[in-house]
Amino acid sequence: MDFPTCYLLQGLSEEKLKRFAAITHETVMSKEQWIYHENDRAERVFILKTGIVELVTLVDSYLELPVSIIRSPGDCFGTSSLIEPHLYSLSARCQEDGTVLAVDRYDLRKLMDEDREIGCVIMTNLAEHLLSRLKETRQELKLHFKNLLKFMHS
Amino acid sequence: MQQGNEIKLEKHDGVILFDVIGDVTAASEPSFAQAYSEANDRDAEKILLQFKESTYINSGGISVLIQLLAQSNRKGQAIGITGISNHFRKIFTMVGITKFARIYDTREQALEDMSGGQGRPSG
Repeated sequence: MDFPTCYLLQGLSEEKLKRFAAITHETVMSKEQWIYHENDRAERVFILKTGIVELVTLVDSYLELPVSIIRSPGDCFGTSSLIEPHLYSLSARCQEDGTVLAVDRYDLRKLMDEDREIGCVIMTNLAEHLLSRLKETRQELKLHFKNLLKFMHS
Repeated sequence: MQQGNEIKLEKHDGVILFDVIGDVTAASEPSFAQAYSEANDRDAEKILLQFKESTYINSGGISVLIQLLAQSNRKGQAIGITGISNHFRKIFTMVGITKFARIYDTREQALEDMSGGQGRPSG
């Protein structure tokens, strides 16, 4: 099956992957195109097929802070669409022309309600990923505090 | 999952070059600390950070670089940066990194300039 690997889908059988694939829509994106903005209603989750997408957050009116780069086929983004309050927590901008598989959150919700195994696998994978991101964010926060302490004591 | 970096140290006429492989994130801190410690063991006065055009540096990575710049500034060491994309050149300017490090277009230009006693930002 021509379908990129994705952490959300790890552990799903070929048959379940086919059901998931049936609700995806391939979308072309072009360089510099905004896919969504922070705090937009999160209606779709995306899986990268080709190209590069950067996730950023706006710190000030003039400063976009780089948060993450999505460049491996199968990388997911826009997972805020799977969780209340369904608002994107970052902005996503295409850095290199490519294609993504977009999944409407209502379609995915319906699929997960119909097939609880798919729902359980996807939400467990999402929880593991978010825990890993939480650890990374804590590590980053420690770094910022270290820098701040050095600055305060210099 | 974020990973540390491989940083190869090379000495060029009084400049210690950090050849940084991989994306720079909060997980890069130990790799940079180790490289900086080794550079200090070699009495580094000038350090050139060489990245790849494709290197991604996120907010945690920027913090790692600021940490290095703060340490080197206290020791009076000059820092140069080369290899970064225009995207990161803009970000480094916006966050103030260019007040503490000079950014060069090429490694050759950086080594020539820094070996000649330069390397400190003019601003």
